[in-house]
Amino acid sequence: MVKQRNMWAIIFLFFPLAIYTVFVIMPLLSSFYYSFTDWNGFNPNFSWVGFDNYLKITTDPTFLNAIKNTSIWMAAAIIVPSGFGLMIALILQRKIWGANFFKSLFYLPICLSLAVIGQVWIWIYHPDLGLLNLTLNFLHLSFLTDAWLSDPNTALFAVIVAWCWQQIGLAMVIFLSGLTSIPQELIEAAEIDGANYWQSLWRVIIPLLSPATVVVIALAIINSLKSFDVVYIMTKGGPFHSSDTLAMMMYNESFQKYYIGYGSAVSVVLFLIAMIVIAFYFRQVRELEHLYD
Amino acid sequence: MKKLVWQLLTLTIALAFVLSACGPAATPEAPAAPAATAAPAQPTAVPPTAAPTAVPATAAPTAVPQTTVNITHYFSDSLGKKWISQLTDGFGAANPQFKVADNTTGHEDFKTQILVMLAGNNPPDIFSYWAGARTQFVVDANRLMPLDDWWTANKMDDVIPASLKPLATYNGKIYAVPMNAHIVGFFYNPKAMAKAGITTMPTTWTDFLAMCDKLKAAGIAPFALGSKNQWPAQYWFDYLVSRTAGPDYRTQLMLGKAAYTDPQVGKALETWKMLIDKGYFYKNANAYDWTDAADQVAKGDAAMTLMGTWITGYWDGKGLKAGTDYEFMPFPSIDPAIPMVVHGSIDAWTIPADTHNKDGALALLAWFLKPESQAVWAKGQGALAANKNTDPSIYNPVMKEAADYLAKTNFLSGYDLSTTPPMAVGGLNMFALMMNDPSKYQDYMKQTEDVAKQVFKK
Repeated sequence: MVKQRNMWAIIFLFFPLAIYTVFVIMPLLSSFYYSFTDWNGFNPNFSWVGFDNYLKITTDPTFLNAIKNTSIWMAAAIIVPSGFGLMIALILQRKIWGANFFKSLFYLPICLSLAVIGQVWIWIYHPDLGLLNLTLNFLHLSFLTDAWLSDPNTALFAVIVAWCWQQIGLAMVIFLSGLTSIPQELIEAAEIDGANYWQSLWRVIIPLLSPATVVVIALAIINSLKSFDVVYIMTKGGPFHSSDTLAMMMYNESFQKYYIGYGSAVSVVLFLIAMIVIAFYFRQVRELEHLYD
Repeated sequence: MKKLVWQLLTLTIALAFVLSACGPAATPEAPAAPAATAAPAQPTAVPPTAAPTAVPATAAPTAVPQTTVNITHYFSDSLGKKWISQLTDGFGAANPQFKVADNTTGHEDFKTQILVMLAGNNPPDIFSYWAGARTQFVVDANRLMPLDDWWTANKMDDVIPASLKPLATYNGKIYAVPMNAHIVGFFYNPKAMAKAGITTMPTTWTDFLAMCDKLKAAGIAPFALGSKNQWPAQYWFDYLVSRTAGPDYRTQLMLGKAAYTDPQVGKALETWKMLIDKGYFYKNANAYDWTDAADQVAKGDAAMTLMGTWITGYWDGKGLKAGTDYEFMPFPSIDPAIPMVVHGSIDAWTIPADTHNKDGALALLAWFLKPESQAVWAKGQGALAANKNTDPSIYNPVMKEAADYLAKTNFLSGYDLSTTPPMAVGGLNMFALMMNDPSKYQDYMKQTEDVAKQVFKK
């Protein structure tokens, strides 16, 4: 019986594992291999350069800048979408008029691809015709107007805002589902004990939302490490690398400069960072599992 | 049950983590390189009657076995595709032994796709490519077929202008056959000029600067530039270097044999800084695309833009008329002792070393270079024909001026087609920096030389 079950398990696992091996494991291993070479992605003649690419990483200002920008992105990803998402979820969870309509409205950006969102925000930020500058001019705040995406001081934040705009909807949905799973009796019990809204929010609701919070933050970190498409569409990492993220830099090195070897080294570093994050994530999840026991 | 769902969710997110880390570098099919090279030419409208290659469909049946010629190119916009198919249809009808299979992809996708096809030993029989450093890159990997015999047999020296031959030649052999040229110069709005009281266009640098002052006094920005995607700014560097330090120095710089910290580069950047400091450029160049700059000139907010002949296609598409709404002027001489060159880009055809249908590819190449085909193509694309025997009546007055200028001037490719891709990334960054804050130009020179040292292993 057990033997038969094992056989079926092997049969069912074979195809997904084969696909996973071909499309994930093998490219991953080849990335590791190429990171020790000076391959340009095209010429069949290339040589083994040992740890040269990794040594270059440690002194490359472009890489350090990309690390800095990715960290800013990650911090914003953890704070902004979860903060606003929680706030909106708490408001819309009450039985107020039009709650379902607003839920759909806030969720809508998630249905758009990041390429579309990038294009929409390029228009919002347009220096002459953009909604943002036109609004500022209308409010007699024209001293605040800027060429948002071409000013190195604002480009990164301008892209992050566009990205967060989409992510808020995702955080909201996860928090909403988390909120419905909180037993109403616990909140009522807190009220009977004399807790006001803020006290029950801080002492009951937020602690019980921690599984949802872990998911929201995990997704935020994953998505910030992946941040490529919206950057590619809006600024391509510019101006002057001011909005370069690790993923964008990896692409530029590999497919703009044709330094596939160096680009692979950057991707390996990105992989290691993801691995560290994943280790923390698994630990957190294990600690939270008791909530569902 | 909830626990199971929880564990599944955990696992899915963990998987997403792993996938997020093994992205682009592991998959060569990732999104294509951004537009660092010549802009897509917007073809001008051409009456459908201009079809000298059309051959009656009732060609006599033949017993010759038919072979397929696979062609890949980046003329992927609807009109580009239309004129290519008109040429290939004509070829197929006249040569029933060959059947042309067209595998067009998007202009940007092409850049990655063709390299993947060549590296994967799955090449087309003939493909379009940008003459210059990009072709050199493919030649250096031994992926292209030398075309010297074909060139001689077809007397190409009588067809292709001598000034374009260097763009066909790599490592001493012919590898790329030019299909058309685009040249870069000032495209201006004659009405804006007239408004500022300018009736004759300057040919000397002093007169040129005086003209800029006049325009500025009339409230018109002399230059529009849309350097959001960096490459449009490169032509300022190209011309300022070749007009002050000479074309030979400029070639040395492109090959890594001169340094970006040289006084010659310093002088070019100083001149550029002077033009920016005087307020000659329309504000926020880095916020706009080249088409925005074209619009600023068309509206008369700016007087001119330094751009390639493909801008005529863009303007014609907007209903502007050559000669009355826009005009062409070459970049003026700065130092009369220095020979003039014209910068631009060449679209060429190349044949892979391991083509499956050499005869078909060579026959199609000869067909593309016929004066009749060239006339259809150049007129349709808003480009300058590579065949010097093409009927000049196909050009509008502005393109005619551009063609005449090219005929008497030596040609050098634009920056990002003249130097290696990693160097071009560094240089283009410097040009955008210049438009952002020219005061630090000496720092930019040092930074760019650092890139050059790495790229050229100096």
